Amino acid sequence: MNNRLRRSRAGNPKGGALANAIAVAFCLVWVFPVYWMVNTAFKPRSEAMTSTPLFLPKSPTLSNFDAAINQTTFYRTLWNSLIVVGGTVLLAVVLGMFAAAALSRFRFRGRRAIMVAILIVQMLPGSALLIPTFLVFNRVGLLGTYAGLILAYVAVVLPFSIWVMRGFFIAVPVEIEEAARIDGASTWQILYKILFPLVAPGMVASSIFAFIAAWNDYLVAYTFMKDQDQYTLPVWLASFSTPITGTDFGGQMAGSVVFSLPVVVFFLIIQRKLVSGVSAGAVKG
Amino acid sequence: MTTQPLAGTSRTSGLRPHTSPRRRPSWAPWWLLSPAGLVMLTVTAAPIVFLIYTSFTDYSQRSLFTGTYHQVGLRQYTALFDDPQFWQALLRSVLFTAAMVAGSIAVGTAVAQLLTRLATAMRLTVTIVLVLAWAMPTVASSLVWKWLFQPGYGVVNWLLTQAGVFGDMTDTDWANDPFLAYLSIWLLIVWQAVPFIALTLYAALTQLPLELQEAARLDGAGEFRVWWSVTLPFLRPTLMLVALLSVIWDFNVFNQIWLVSSGGPDSATTTLGIFAYRTAFVAFKIGQGAALSVITTAILVAITALYIRNLLRSGEDL
Repeated sequence: MNNRLRRSRAGNPKGGALANAIAVAFCLVWVFPVYWMVNTAFKPRSEAMTSTPLFLPKSPTLSNFDAAINQTTFYRTLWNSLIVVGGTVLLAVVLGMFAAAALSRFRFRGRRAIMVAILIVQMLPGSALLIPTFLVFNRVGLLGTYAGLILAYVAVVLPFSIWVMRGFFIAVPVEIEEAARIDGASTWQILYKILFPLVAPGMVASSIFAFIAAWNDYLVAYTFMKDQDQYTLPVWLASFSTPITGTDFGGQMAGSVVFSLPVVVFFLIIQRKLVSGVSAGAVKG
Repeated sequence: MTTQPLAGTSRTSGLRPHTSPRRRPSWAPWWLLSPAGLVMLTVTAAPIVFLIYTSFTDYSQRSLFTGTYHQVGLRQYTALFDDPQFWQALLRSVLFTAAMVAGSIAVGTAVAQLLTRLATAMRLTVTIVLVLAWAMPTVASSLVWKWLFQPGYGVVNWLLTQAGVFGDMTDTDWANDPFLAYLSIWLLIVWQAVPFIALTLYAALTQLPLELQEAARLDGAGEFRVWWSVTLPFLRPTLMLVALLSVIWDFNVFNQIWLVSSGGPDSATTTLGIFAYRTAFVAFKIGQGAALSVITTAILVAITALYIRNLLRSGEDL
């Protein structure tokens, strides 16, 4: 792929003035909401609510972060989020890996039907599951519990996690395993020394996906967790505005920065992997 | 919803030829599948069956406590079909989805093309900006949007007023005008959807064999003609994929609408998803909400069938 990329770069006129101008304009527009969130987060209240907006805080302050984080509910909310996210990641990756191994290393009757079923489930709208899951969880007492929320998230993430890890399993040639077996490796050694290291990137990819899905979800948590001490971060963040006091935009923007940060960091780290993954199929000749 | 490209990963890695999985029959795969299968059966398959069942009952708020409800046959569906609000919400969803998908794909394609024409430093800058917009959780970006478009203090109102094209917009309340509420949500969705589309299409573009373009240029084709006759056909499979995924996601948009306008003003931004949520969880007409969800799901499954057929046609080995 590098070879091709280099050639394609040589083929196009690079860095033309017009292209650069458009790129700068695009960047300004697209980064603006992010910039405005950060900008507001560091403004004291008197500077946030001005009729002529300030493009940089005059006297930058951390008081918004303070106000957000020192709300008595913040740590409780963070804790809720961490437990739910951790549980989701763990279950999605472990169950996903088992299933992916089955679907890639074995041929058996019904395999194709299961793959199609997984694809369909992956495409099902989460909102369709919301009503019946709510009713069932209401009946069995899982509403407002960590276990209920984790289960709901795992259901959403699992098909994808299986699908991704299956790709990584398939990429490992059977010949490697056969060679190891001939050299006298046990099944466990083959798994531990050959298969796991080779599919580790798939486990990382599914964990990150599960993390982001559970961390970001608003709808399910908003519907299932009605008590304030059950809130997860997104619900807590959205509930910053109350009809009585109005919205504390400084605090809300500071909260948004804190809440977005882990996701942004993940995206920046894995961005290249995401994109090269998309083109991987085309690279393979 | 923010990690879409991995869907591409899984899709494309499936294109690799199968490395002849083991053929000996065994129970091992079923053991390996059972935990995941159990979860999917109990939290996906069963609820879907239950959803369909509930849509034929008069399940209501009272039923939540008493557990009693009655079979009402098709009454929930006929009530919906007689309800002009349902048809409005359906029409809104379709038109809104079309507008969001068209906007995201158009801008995304343009940005992908732009990326191929930039030198490394500029390309990296654009990529980082794209990733920032892409990574923002929808709750955070919806809240930022509300702030950007705030009457009195919103910076967008201020900028537009300064530009002077639409007069004084300082006190314009975007959430209170049907068209403006739509416009601001449309901008939010497009803003957040463009990165995935642009980066995916750019990845595809880097694979474009240059010989084809050069040959077309040698034959005297202009730049637009080269793009139309060489680049676009090459991008078509990727475009199809991102378009179908966008349709599915955008038809399903909930958070952004709920947090920015809550479906208002006066249900002007009430799409099917919002309508179903309000019916089931605000008015607690759960049976009716279930019928709505069944209809929405049927529409999305039809689109998904298209997607899967497309996968199979493109030679995906399941």
